[in-house]
Amino acid sequence: MTALSSPVTDIVSDPFWKATQAGKLLIQRCPVTGRHQWYPRAHSIYAPEATPEWVEASGRGTVFSFSTIHRGNGPIEAPYTCALVMLEEGVLILSRLDGIAEEEVQVGIPVVVTFTSSPDGTALPVFRRREAQP
Amino acid sequence: MNDTSSKASIVGAYESPRRQATRLHPFALQMECISGALADAGLSLSDVDGLCVAAGDWAEGGGVSSLTEFAEYAGIKPTYFDSTDVGGCSYIVHAGHAAAAIAARLADVVVISYASCPRWWPLNTPSFDPFVLPAGPGQFELPYGPTLISAYAMFAQRHMAIYGTTSEQLAKVAVTFRQHAANNPDARFRTPLTIDDVLGSAMIATPLRKLDCCVVTDGGGAIVMTSRERARDCRSKPVHLAGFGTAVARTQISQIDHDLTTPAAISGPRAFAMAGVGHADIDVAQLYDAFTITPMLALEDLGFCAKGESGAFVDDGHLTLGGMLPSNTDGGGLSSNHPGKRGIFTMIEGVRQLRGEGPGVQVPNAEVALVHGLGGTFCAAATAILTV
Repeated sequence: MTALSSPVTDIVSDPFWKATQAGKLLIQRCPVTGRHQWYPRAHSIYAPEATPEWVEASGRGTVFSFSTIHRGNGPIEAPYTCALVMLEEGVLILSRLDGIAEEEVQVGIPVVVTFTSSPDGTALPVFRRREAQP
Repeated sequence: MNDTSSKASIVGAYESPRRQATRLHPFALQMECISGALADAGLSLSDVDGLCVAAGDWAEGGGVSSLTEFAEYAGIKPTYFDSTDVGGCSYIVHAGHAAAAIAARLADVVVISYASCPRWWPLNTPSFDPFVLPAGPGQFELPYGPTLISAYAMFAQRHMAIYGTTSEQLAKVAVTFRQHAANNPDARFRTPLTIDDVLGSAMIATPLRKLDCCVVTDGGGAIVMTSRERARDCRSKPVHLAGFGTAVARTQISQIDHDLTTPAAISGPRAFAMAGVGHADIDVAQLYDAFTITPMLALEDLGFCAKGESGAFVDDGHLTLGGMLPSNTDGGGLSSNHPGKRGIFTMIEGVRQLRGEGPGVQVPNAEVALVHGLGGTFCAAATAILTV
């Protein structure tokens, strides 16, 4: 099971995973429309003939939704909280919350990216609480 | 009425009473269901030239070539076939495709069947929760350990946060369908539930508790379709597939619509338009209920209530007899049965209601039924409108 959950990287996603090792969260931007997209693809979903460009995300966002998993079926010890985070760039990304007690998690709380290392050496972007900007 | 849809009828329907089928291979259970449905129609296996089977998922007994595997097992050589697999609603999709095939004279008698035995299936055949590989798009989600239930839970959590939907309203869905199951002798659970029972059950993935989740049973079912013309010669009262609509939208959790709209908003209007009926014409509905949040989003996206108002709609008792839309009259997946892809049962119960044969609660003189399913985590949708 553990092996199944490790990302199978590929030539399109290599820049993303290389950046996470350096503590950076990359997303893609359409060179035609300027719109951001998540998850990374070889083409722009807004202009399919165009190749998206990589840009560094601010790493800031808010919790769009979440679920604390009490009965898991994989290698991760429950409970843990998966969350959809709305990045400032306007894209939703699935991730996990780190260091936030279950009872403190709410839709709308501000979060910022941080990186955890997986057993296979991958640096995985997860999110922790941040103080809201005034 | 649309030419394509109006030419096909459902002439046979059968649901296995089994809820546990220990060491019975799902193919054998499927054959039981096909025999039952053909007998209901007064047809035999030698009449069948169309076969719709999607049996390659976990506990369904087949692999990626499940259609050829199962045709061989059944001992038939169909010339029309469909193994479209978009999750739970696949069998409603098959019915739509079969109607078109029958209208185009590509098929005469089509069987749509399903069986799964999750209660004893011993193999860890490929099925990654939630149904994707940690490669390509899934490499950005699977490493976080999302479960199938947690994906539904995130829809529910967001719905509660932006629309004020409550856990009590979610629980009311389970409580209502349990009332319907009470009279269904085959239902997995029939003992009445209270809101407190649901709220007191174990948390699985916040905000969904154990009793917000469907039952897990072995089981199977089948339907038989043919032309309206030939339907007149069949044994049972024909039920017409007046309209259908299908749509696929996404797979990864991150790709959900920001306002929680599901592809039911696409499949529903197409089905209504094809059938030429409106919401007020629907006497009874079968809404796929893998989790309590599932039929709630269907109510909104099919247009039975406004976006965000399904909690109040459920609370007001509209899903039971006397309400605006009596639904899941057999107890649904939350109480009666749920082997994994329960779309076939929504079709079967739709047929039974229009024949006056509902095993749970029966809507008096029902003439128009809406059947709706989803696949994956609101990834696909299929809607059918049945009439007599």
